[in-house]
Amino acid sequence: MSAETVSGTGLEVPSFALLIILLPMLAFPVILLLGRLFNGKDWWRGALKEGGLIALPVMAASLIASLAVIRRFIGETSASATSTVMHWVNFAWQDAATGEIQLFSMDFGFYVDHTTVMLLFVASFLCLLINIFSIGYMNTDPVNDNRNHRFYAEFVLFCSGMLGMVLSDSFLWLFIFWELMGLCSYLLIGFYYERPSAAYAAKKAFLTTRVGDVFLVIGLAMLWNLFQPHAVGGDALAYSVVFDGANLQAIADAGKSGALQLALGFMFIGAVGKSAQFPLHVWLPDAMEGPTPVSALIHAATMVNAGLYLVARMFPIFGAEAMHGAFTDLAFLIALVGGITACMAALIAFVQMDLKKVLAYSTMSQLAYIFTGLGAALWLANSLDWHHDDAAHTIVVVAFGAALFHLFNHAMAKGMLFMASGSVIHEMHHAHHDVHHHHDHDEHHDGHHEEDHFDAQSMANMGGLASKLPITATAMLVGSASIIGLPLIGGFWSKEGIIANTWRVALEDPRFFLPAILVLVTAGMTGFYMSRMWFMTFAGKPKTEVAAHVHEQTPWIPIPLLVLIPMSLSAIVFASLEATHYLGDTGSHLGEMGLLDGFLYEMEHAFANHDPFFLVLTYIAIGLSLVVGPMAAMALYGGQLADGEEAKPWLKPFVSLSARVNKRHRFDNTALAEGSLATALQERLYFDAWYDAACEKIVAGFSNLAAVFDRRVVDGAIKGIESGSQSTSRQVRSLTTGSARDYIMMAALGTLLIALVLWGVA
Amino acid sequence: MDLVSIVLVGLPMVVSLLLLSLVGLVPAALRPRLAVPMRLVTFVVGVVLFLVTTGMFFGTLGEVDWLGIGFNTYVFEEQYTWIESLGVTWHVGLDALSFPMVWLTAFLLPVTQIATWNEKRGEVYHPLILLMGATLIGVFVSLDLFMFYIFWELTLIPMFFLILKWGGAERRYAAQKFFIYTFTASVVMLLGLVTLYFLQQPTQAGAYAGSFTGRSFDLVNLSEVAMAANTDGVFLGKTMQAVLFVMLMLGFLVKLPAAPFHTWLPDAHVQAPTGGSMLLAGVMLKMGAYGMFRIPVTLFPHALEQFQFALMLFGFVSLVYGAIVCLGQTNLKKMVAYSSVSHMGVILLGIASQQPIGYAAALFMMFAHGIISPMLFAVCGAFKHHYHSMEIGAMRGMAKHSPWIATSMMFGWMASLGLPLLAGFVAEFMLLVAYWATFGWWILGPGLALAITAAYYLWSMQRTIFEGGEATQPPAGMEGKPIPDLDTSEKVAMLILAAATVLFGIFPFIALDMMDAWTQAAFVVLFGGA
Repeated sequence: MSAETVSGTGLEVPSFALLIILLPMLAFPVILLLGRLFNGKDWWRGALKEGGLIALPVMAASLIASLAVIRRFIGETSASATSTVMHWVNFAWQDAATGEIQLFSMDFGFYVDHTTVMLLFVASFLCLLINIFSIGYMNTDPVNDNRNHRFYAEFVLFCSGMLGMVLSDSFLWLFIFWELMGLCSYLLIGFYYERPSAAYAAKKAFLTTRVGDVFLVIGLAMLWNLFQPHAVGGDALAYSVVFDGANLQAIADAGKSGALQLALGFMFIGAVGKSAQFPLHVWLPDAMEGPTPVSALIHAATMVNAGLYLVARMFPIFGAEAMHGAFTDLAFLIALVGGITACMAALIAFVQMDLKKVLAYSTMSQLAYIFTGLGAALWLANSLDWHHDDAAHTIVVVAFGAALFHLFNHAMAKGMLFMASGSVIHEMHHAHHDVHHHHDHDEHHDGHHEEDHFDAQSMANMGGLASKLPITATAMLVGSASIIGLPLIGGFWSKEGIIANTWRVALEDPRFFLPAILVLVTAGMTGFYMSRMWFMTFAGKPKTEVAAHVHEQTPWIPIPLLVLIPMSLSAIVFASLEATHYLGDTGSHLGEMGLLDGFLYEMEHAFANHDPFFLVLTYIAIGLSLVVGPMAAMALYGGQLADGEEAKPWLKPFVSLSARVNKRHRFDNTALAEGSLATALQERLYFDAWYDAACEKIVAGFSNLAAVFDRRVVDGAIKGIESGSQSTSRQVRSLTTGSARDYIMMAALGTLLIALVLWGVA
Repeated sequence: MDLVSIVLVGLPMVVSLLLLSLVGLVPAALRPRLAVPMRLVTFVVGVVLFLVTTGMFFGTLGEVDWLGIGFNTYVFEEQYTWIESLGVTWHVGLDALSFPMVWLTAFLLPVTQIATWNEKRGEVYHPLILLMGATLIGVFVSLDLFMFYIFWELTLIPMFFLILKWGGAERRYAAQKFFIYTFTASVVMLLGLVTLYFLQQPTQAGAYAGSFTGRSFDLVNLSEVAMAANTDGVFLGKTMQAVLFVMLMLGFLVKLPAAPFHTWLPDAHVQAPTGGSMLLAGVMLKMGAYGMFRIPVTLFPHALEQFQFALMLFGFVSLVYGAIVCLGQTNLKKMVAYSSVSHMGVILLGIASQQPIGYAAALFMMFAHGIISPMLFAVCGAFKHHYHSMEIGAMRGMAKHSPWIATSMMFGWMASLGLPLLAGFVAEFMLLVAYWATFGWWILGPGLALAITAAYYLWSMQRTIFEGGEATQPPAGMEGKPIPDLDTSEKVAMLILAAATVLFGIFPFIALDMMDAWTQAAFVVLFGGA
């Protein structure tokens, strides 16, 4: 229930948990090496899909082991389970006060609690689905021939990084696996290394997150020093030490809670970088340079969640009784960064024409929601007396649980959305290839090529795909609905909780009105840009000839979509198991209240609050996101399918509705679209340009100057000494004339000098 | 048997000198035929060294408990009178401070030879590499100041010839600069050592005191005396300790090198052949750090406390300034050379932190950099060897054309920028912990350096491994020729170095535990920890 109960439960994590990390990690060199050896061989391409079918069983085994760990943990219904795998680093420390030498270690081990369970499932489940999707997406494109082994190798390493981060039992190992993911995302974003834009994007992603990581690692150094007196003989960064109520009490007693807030604040900057929040958000949209499965994996399902996970891991520290009221500033900062990013990313998503970029900004915006929710939850945990007051306890755990549940819902929905967008792009690409091929045939003579100009990712080239890609369109619809927060599915269960709790804090701490208003407005904006994306892609008439020729081909792509559609729809089941309560309260069990009571409990928190203020607020949020946003999108981008095209019955109402709204309420937005705001949004509010200019002018300029300084001044001084001594020796040498007369004279002078000196001394 | 004198120092020294004189005896026309047997013999000796030191590590030879040696006590210790009148002895021994360096040298010798298997004039080159290794091991095993200094200067000779005979276009200038610069600093150090020698009390000079001078160069005895004097007073007095500390440190700072005494290093590296660079960066730079721990830190802890902040500034400037200068380089090898300056700053910061974990971080950095930097220089060498250019951007899209060079570069660069689970990270993280404890907000400097390090490595990879595509033009002079990749021996060397980097990255305790045992023992003695 509280921080005190976290440690010392004595439950062991089963040792096969190591396999979850180890199997994909070992598959990395195997796939890489086999690929290098057998590239071009038919059996390697056909039977093993260039390594895809090696990765698949590995990820499946990882998922099975994860499920076994989760099942055992849930069965035991314990607050947390730990086990130590190895003493990684042992070292000594001299206590400043006593001068005593004490021994410490930094250990590697496992830590499983409710948050771990959820993320472990998300990561291993989505990794497997994305693996299946990749086989369909990567192995049918000739561009990837003979380099797919690199994709699958880096993919499994990436997965092992995410799984390791989730499972590890200390902030240090969280960081270690975090960096491993950073490396893999660098390699995967730069997968098409020959494109300068991909090389640039990969570098940008790594460096931007690295800036955050520097702060994170400094924060860890601070944290280690704070907990050092309480961890003699052990690991001062282990969760069991950091979350321990007695240790936190001792730190508070020593008057160091300000220093602790600083350390956590530094670590939070790392999370800002990794989860692409303002102002370190610039890398995420560019990261779409990687192949689409990578976007699904890194930029929706796993890596960006790392930053959220880090902040969520700080909850026991914020919630400790000892730290009561000490960290409200940091909680506000977290919520503020979230609020600003949510609104900014949604605004930029308004004008994006690239399907994947819309999703990228949507990811950024939804992650920001979770940050805001976490900020609010951390504020509540830090300020309310929730250890003794039952009502306060419910508020805190549901606020925290709502943020974590949104992470779950968003990951499932966004994984599906990215894979669906990959499906669209893949089929557009193939259709373009077919169309182009026919063209080539017809216009054989003039050798006209339009290959280079066609953008298979641009929504300007799509439209009317609802009838042609029914599974994809359905997945996209369900995913969008989940992100928007359509009642009873996916994100609805968590998003309303986040908004309500941010407002709840705002009523206590007026600073929170800023993030609270921002996330409320963003709800409507989400409704707009997600609907815009769906209608531009799937409704209306095909905007190009290519879009008219699209059809679904490979079976590998729809499979994960068909798995994920019910997953998002069945969020109601998770909600009825009191997911938000379970995730927030380490003392609770899953499904404690029974399904129906659980459902009502969650409904009350998401939908039908007793407090009239929150009830009104919730309905404003729902109204904005379900009516205002989508209606505007329909008015602008809706439309009937082309003649003779028939959408599936469950898609048809949406298309028809959009056509009707479009006919009735169409309005002219050209003035707005050509205004300076739209231009600024197209340019992503100029952040990238400013950062690039700063790097170019300040950093590169200064380093060039330093290089010149080093050559001219530092080395120049040495050269000066050198040439000085050379010229002196040249002058001395000129005395050596070779003439006997000169020598005799010098000898005489010397004798005289010595005689004078001797006389003087005597 | 005196394993250290006979096998670790004597064997490579005698074999390499014999082989070199044999080459001298043979008529010039026949010399090239000697290349293969010379290479084979020296390689076998290198492998023997590696096996012997590895056997020592596992206790197969000597049954040593490396975690329980203590401070200023040694294993495999042997002492013979050398110059009786002056109190000079041949005194060798190993402890947990020197052993990792000896093992590293023995490990790098065969790897260096593999990486440069077909170096031109191999009949002289390979024996010189072996001689280099013998003198380096000699420095690390010496427990007599006279002998230490002899080996210290002897290391210059093979390196001087390696640069002079196998170097690039400006090798003559670089070799002279390298020699004169470090030699001048060593002379200051020598003056310090001699002063120290004469300041000894003849009554405390120990069993090997010189019959003429009444004093001894024996470092173990001297350390014993100093440790006793430092516990309730200041050995040699506060002023003299400070003066000697500065004189000795000057020699070591130049060797390390620390900014602003670093400018010999980029010149030497850029002109040196690959094998020379690998040993220079891998082991020779660590002589400076090793010397600091062995002499000034051990003898003058009070002066160390007095100069703690100055030492930190040297480290700070080396680390941050070195990284910034790296970013401004256009020459690949020069960039890697400056990155060495930057990483050596970490060692100074570790010493300056005055925490056992900082010392252990410095020791592990010496070791980890000793494995990673040879790989960096092997990559640079391969780049030069195959593309005939050192300019960043001379060849783009290597991932497509030379996947082995590209992979090795990616791996080495990532290891050097401190990626977790590779050897360098452990030292960096431990250092940050110690650094924050001692210097607080100064930590932003190393933090900045971490970011800049990533920037220069990533930027250089963007312009070598990435980009290019179909339109890639090979560098001037290579048009129309097949685009090369690593040859077999280079591949083997890269794989060995990469495997070691991963091994010590995932299981750092293999080497770190003994380093930590040494620092624990050292701190109890030097700074009075209970």
